[in-house]
Amino acid sequence: MISRTARLAAAAVAASLALAACGAGGRPAEEDGGGATGGEAATASDVGITETTVKVGGHFPLTGVAAPGYADIPTGAKAYFDYVNANGGVNGRQIEYVYKDDAYNPTQTSQITNELVLQDQIFAMLGGLGTPTHSAVVDFLNSEGVPDLFVSSGSLLWDQPRENPNTFGWQPDYEVEGKILAQYLAQNFPQAKVGLFVQDDDFGRDGEKGARQYLESQIVTVQRYTPGNTDIAPQIAALQAAGADLVVGFAVPSYTALSQLNALRLNYKPQWAYSNVGADLTLVGSLLARFSEGAITDAGLLEGVISTSYLPNVTQKDNAWVQLFQKVWDEHGGEGELNNFRIYGMSQAYTFVSALQAAGPNPTREGIVKAVESGGKTFEGPWLAPFRFSADKHGGIAGVAVNKITGGTVTPLTDVLVTDNGSAPITPVGTPPSTPTANGIPDVQPVETG
Amino acid sequence: MQQFLNVTLTGLAQGAVYSAIALALVLIWRSTRIVNFAQGAMAMFTTYIALSLIEAGQSYWVGLLVALVSGLVLGALVERVVVRPVEGGPELNAVIVTLGLFVGFQALAAILFGSTFVSFPAPFDLRGFTVGGVNIAFTPNSIFVIAAVVVVMLALVALFRFTNLGLQMRASAFSQEVSRLLGVRVGAMLTLGWALAAVVGSLAGVLIAGGNLVSPNYMDAVVVFGFVAAVLGGLESPGGAVVGGLTIGLLLSYVSGYLGSELVALAALVILVAVLLVRPQGLFSHAAARRV
Repeated sequence: MISRTARLAAAAVAASLALAACGAGGRPAEEDGGGATGGEAATASDVGITETTVKVGGHFPLTGVAAPGYADIPTGAKAYFDYVNANGGVNGRQIEYVYKDDAYNPTQTSQITNELVLQDQIFAMLGGLGTPTHSAVVDFLNSEGVPDLFVSSGSLLWDQPRENPNTFGWQPDYEVEGKILAQYLAQNFPQAKVGLFVQDDDFGRDGEKGARQYLESQIVTVQRYTPGNTDIAPQIAALQAAGADLVVGFAVPSYTALSQLNALRLNYKPQWAYSNVGADLTLVGSLLARFSEGAITDAGLLEGVISTSYLPNVTQKDNAWVQLFQKVWDEHGGEGELNNFRIYGMSQAYTFVSALQAAGPNPTREGIVKAVESGGKTFEGPWLAPFRFSADKHGGIAGVAVNKITGGTVTPLTDVLVTDNGSAPITPVGTPPSTPTANGIPDVQPVETG
Repeated sequence: MQQFLNVTLTGLAQGAVYSAIALALVLIWRSTRIVNFAQGAMAMFTTYIALSLIEAGQSYWVGLLVALVSGLVLGALVERVVVRPVEGGPELNAVIVTLGLFVGFQALAAILFGSTFVSFPAPFDLRGFTVGGVNIAFTPNSIFVIAAVVVVMLALVALFRFTNLGLQMRASAFSQEVSRLLGVRVGAMLTLGWALAAVVGSLAGVLIAGGNLVSPNYMDAVVVFGFVAAVLGGLESPGGAVVGGLTIGLLLSYVSGYLGSELVALAALVILVAVLLVRPQGLFSHAAARRV
């Protein structure tokens, strides 16, 4: 008869052996990650990685208020991963992508992140969406050592390498975007009285911080709306009463639509400028389309609106990236059409594949974080400006181009401009736009991470 | 000045809708002593029915009519099938049942119609009037909203004051046993009360949706503010519900316009608590007199 203690001891030994095995499998990948791509056999180098698969997870609002548009992001990423898998995967491994619905509710985000990490045993979190939602799980992911790659939110929270060494931003943060948008507006509308229409949370505050750097002296009023309260008539009335003739909005798509609608009621026609987040032509257009009884036609309400972009737009049919993504969507997509949200998801997936390649043939969690830190700046993809990744910077894409919505598509008003947080100057990006590789899959060499 | 005018006018139009919801709550409270927490969810559901018809190519008015008729049927069904069995038990049971209905309708709507924001057309122009070069936040559509609520309120007053049916409904609400002895079909009256309330609720749902975005929970805030309005008006009086609704609409609009939109829900709570502390029977109630 085996005593309880003996059984426990045996279990402990087995567990430590398993851990040692994992460690042993991991180390060579880091040590010879540099050159030995060809010869090394694939091993189960870390949690979520087997000889033939890599498992990544994500949390997105698939239902609820935030779902329009955002629910399409993971379908885009999924289609791209399926495309990569159909072409042999990454280093022979198929990417298994598991995404779950958090309904944009932080409590549910915590719950499904627990499931993803502890039960599904994902290797990394990819593109978890939303500031309030992802904030709820950042500490958990970092304490578990899970790479928390390319959060789908422009908050500055993801760029804190000391507190959250495993977390990386992806899209340009709201401050960078606000700065570039505001500089353009200050230069081109120097006489304008500026009103800000911002969401009352981190998104609005970060954007306002960037905008104030260039528009401070022109701002006549700041109106904040509370997400969830759809009656924003008083805010729009206040903008009008303050005489604002240029309104800069840091709002989500539903509230962009509501602000246009309320302005219509007041015959209020300022020049509008919206952050990229709330200016998706297709989505806002579809929200406004049914009000066309009367004089508004389709997205006509958005005609002339100034916004920014950091990815190619789905309406740019002659762009090589859009053509690639169209092909991917046609072959591997589900229901619906390719749209900007799916392009966003595919671009994130493209970034992840680059990072996975950079982490070498037998990636580890630690290895992929190091690989993004040292190689991320040089990743080439559909994004218009490079990433700002380094050991002490986890901020995403460095800049945006300012554009204008005309005739149902977007027309660039400026070159791609890049900057950084704080008082960093705004400069043209200086590099030509990248083009996809022949097979549409990144070709990143493993990074020497030392 | 212009802002004050616009905040006032948007508050009035918003208040008209709170009035309609408050009216629906009052109708049910008067006849069955139940606060129907599912009122908003039922209205949301019939609004989606209207939207499906409009999307299928029918006119706004067909959609509105069908929404009202389905409200009538839904109200009667809910009373007969769900509420009747728990009536007569502890009062709390019926309230909990309406809460359950609230959750149920929202979930069902999310499954049937999707849970994302969609736009709901308006029957009239959404562009505001311009008076003497000043833009005012009052549109042909807001006139329609206010007129519709006024018509419904007058119709209800007429029904209760001047018709035999209204008298029977009032009687069965006041004293079921006596009414029954006098030959009033109390059960039918209760069902009719719920059905009428659901019609008024459906109207409020369609009115507030017009020219706005709807999702399965778009009525949540409206029904909470409608409840505050009903309490303000005394829960008993249809007139009180209307005045309460307009008051709440105006007050919340001022709070949002001058103090900040994040304070709206809090302000509603403050009003509710203040009313319950200072004048718990509401501004227009005769309940105290009746108890004597």
